[in-house]
Amino acid sequence: MQSDRLTSNNTRVIQEQLSNSSDFQTHDLTAGNRHFRLYYLNTMIEYAIVQEHIIRPLLVHTDVDIREAVSVLHASETELLTDAITAVIEGKTVVQIEGETTLYIYGTALNKERSINVPVNERVLRGSNEALIENLETNLNLMRKLIATPDLVVKYYHLGRRSNTKIAILYLNSIVNEQIVQELDRRMNSIDIDYVEAPGFIQELVEEKSFSLFPQMLVTERPDRVRSYLMDGKVAILTSGSPDSLILPVSFWAFFQSPDDYQINWLLGSTFRILRVFCFIIAISLPGAYVAMVTFDPRILPFEIALTLQSSMQFIAFPAVLEAISMLLILEILREATIRLPSPIGQTIGVVGGIVIGTVVVQSNLVSNTMVVVVAFTGLASFIIPSYEMSSAARLLPYPFIFMSAILGLIGLEFAYLFVLAHLSRLHMMGVPYFYSGLNAGSIRDTLFRAPLWRLKTRAKESLTRNKVRIRNPRGWEK
Amino acid sequence: MIHLKQLSTQQLLCLVLLTQVGVHVLSIPFHESRHAGYDAWMSILLGGIIAQAVILIIYWLGKRYADQSLPQYMTSLLGKPVGVVMNVLLAVYCAESSLLVAVSYTDVIERWLLITTPWYVILGLSFAIAAYIASSSLRSLAVVTQAIMFMFLISVAIVLVSGLGHGDYRHLLPIGTHGLGTIIRDSLPALWLYAGYELLLYVFPSIKYRKQRDIIIAMSVANGLATLFYVLISLVVMYKFSESQLNSIAEPLVYILRQFYWPVVQSLDILFMTIWLSVISVTVYMYLFLSARYLAFVSRREIRKHSLLVWIIAGICFLVGLLGEDRERVLKFTVYHNYATGIIVVILPILLLLVSLVREKGGFAK
Repeated sequence: MQSDRLTSNNTRVIQEQLSNSSDFQTHDLTAGNRHFRLYYLNTMIEYAIVQEHIIRPLLVHTDVDIREAVSVLHASETELLTDAITAVIEGKTVVQIEGETTLYIYGTALNKERSINVPVNERVLRGSNEALIENLETNLNLMRKLIATPDLVVKYYHLGRRSNTKIAILYLNSIVNEQIVQELDRRMNSIDIDYVEAPGFIQELVEEKSFSLFPQMLVTERPDRVRSYLMDGKVAILTSGSPDSLILPVSFWAFFQSPDDYQINWLLGSTFRILRVFCFIIAISLPGAYVAMVTFDPRILPFEIALTLQSSMQFIAFPAVLEAISMLLILEILREATIRLPSPIGQTIGVVGGIVIGTVVVQSNLVSNTMVVVVAFTGLASFIIPSYEMSSAARLLPYPFIFMSAILGLIGLEFAYLFVLAHLSRLHMMGVPYFYSGLNAGSIRDTLFRAPLWRLKTRAKESLTRNKVRIRNPRGWEK
Repeated sequence: MIHLKQLSTQQLLCLVLLTQVGVHVLSIPFHESRHAGYDAWMSILLGGIIAQAVILIIYWLGKRYADQSLPQYMTSLLGKPVGVVMNVLLAVYCAESSLLVAVSYTDVIERWLLITTPWYVILGLSFAIAAYIASSSLRSLAVVTQAIMFMFLISVAIVLVSGLGHGDYRHLLPIGTHGLGTIIRDSLPALWLYAGYELLLYVFPSIKYRKQRDIIIAMSVANGLATLFYVLISLVVMYKFSESQLNSIAEPLVYILRQFYWPVVQSLDILFMTIWLSVISVTVYMYLFLSARYLAFVSRREIRKHSLLVWIIAGICFLVGLLGEDRERVLKFTVYHNYATGIIVVILPILLLLVSLVREKGGFAK
């Protein structure tokens, strides 16, 4: 749509296009013999910039060309009204001289952002305390500061027909596998939706195997963590309006890594890593194993423990399966309630749930006290996993395990394990396998263990990097 | 998009080793000691050595067609009609191996762990899981197998630990009094224990190697570990039981595990048999997979619907396996299966190699 010579006509058209929105405003000024009209959304512009750098110079330098007078960095010209309308929506100010068709667009967007905060969901004891925020430019700034190399590529996408959300993809050009980037590019370009709710929407629209409990992309709010994955040849997706970054392709083991592991002694780091994996196994299978043992094979337990179990279960009316499932459900309810409630009441829930229900349920012989111990241990174990997504998966998996154990005992538990294993081995992200056994010599260094830095010479193998060497000569000096 | 298809030699090792070990461990060395008595461990060792010889033959054969798998070069080697028939036979053999292993272990579970559970539940679940795993790519099979390797190591540890304690090494002495003839005679049943290495015929072209020699090294290590494991079990059993006791105990390992006292776990046999289920499942899904792959090359063009084939074969196996509830029938069937195994895993590779050599002499092959 061509712009008109008359400002009044243009005003009318823009107003119509903006659905007569009330925050669209125009401002007229006359300087010398020229009449200017400014179009803008008064909710979107930075008043100071408009006043200082557009209005004032125009009024002062009455005989200078507008291009020379105005001192704003983002400046462009157009003859098209559609461009002007998009610009106005983005918070830019459009200036027109009465009688001319050229429209001058100036970047005057108002940036309201909160300051960079401490990470809330991924706290660490050692290491950086910066977290990403909702503003994409600030996040990119953080990342650029952490990775000062021309190798870092930032690629913009605009997703969402109506929201027009800006999305940035980051990777290190000389390390990343270009096939992954191409495929991601293809998938991002094919997305056609109204608006983007990040990271959830992107995750679901990009991953190829959606029918799975396991998270296939890593969500993180820590710039240092994003950096470490970029250095491993992975791709990060940042979305404007979301303080979370998506990392892909990641393996199953990435969800057990924490930035802490690399800040402390590698022996301690390895211990915590093993602890987390162990707790994941506990979290998914302990209630099942308990049910299997008390209902099918009490013979497997030593005689004394079997006696203890028997005495605690003596007056319980329900079968062990029902006990386990109901107690786990109560735990789920407690957990969900504490997330939603404001923090002062949250503690009350802890008292009511933990102490009152825990004790009373046992005293009234509804649930055996060993079962309470088992469920409490299961709950604790699922909290230790650093990724919220993975720990949620660990919350849901016990139910099928209990079910299988209840019908087939330990054999059923074994079947459930095999099924999970088979499922994990079928998942892939951009064709990159999600799961590999962390036990072989090559990969154990950064999966089950955290080997000392000078042994972590190669990048993680699941990102199929172009450049496999991470550290060339980590310790130049000789001992 | 990226498609990873190749296996590492380490994965090959896991696949071969875990396909080789199976239900037999519980009965070692019952069948191998019918003639050789307490010298059965030597029969088992000899069986391993024969298996190693056949592995060399298979490797030689595979090297000649390094970029093709057996069902692909079968027709060019044996001609169209014979090749197709052989592919079908191999498919049937693999399906039948899978079936027999599943049925035998279901039988073990039925007798030792879940006495009242209906036969079809355990068998059905075994085949469902096996088919689910087998219906994906060879690479993800290998990944599952690698993870199950961990279970296998636990089982080995359990067997080792149970070998400690009360026993008499004099049960093994004097070595070799049964005579060489009986040892050789008993190495034939020992040979069945090692079936599984023939999967190299199929997977040869999908292995990623630096030097071609790495393949034979991985195969030999796998076979060597299997041999070692079997010999170890037979030694443990001989240490615990005398020859006359052994004659009446068909599943000695179970008894050894059961009587072992450990303050944390009362009866190790339950734990062992549960963990061993995952090792068994490797054999079941690997053979299901192979069966489907051999069948895929029966028609002129490769049948692409791999997962459908797997599920069909698993379904048929399950239906046939329902007959296995009658133990006598399984035992009779095992006799035929042993002959089939002998032909497929020993004689067939040798024949194929000979044909290949002769045809090259005649100038037919490449």
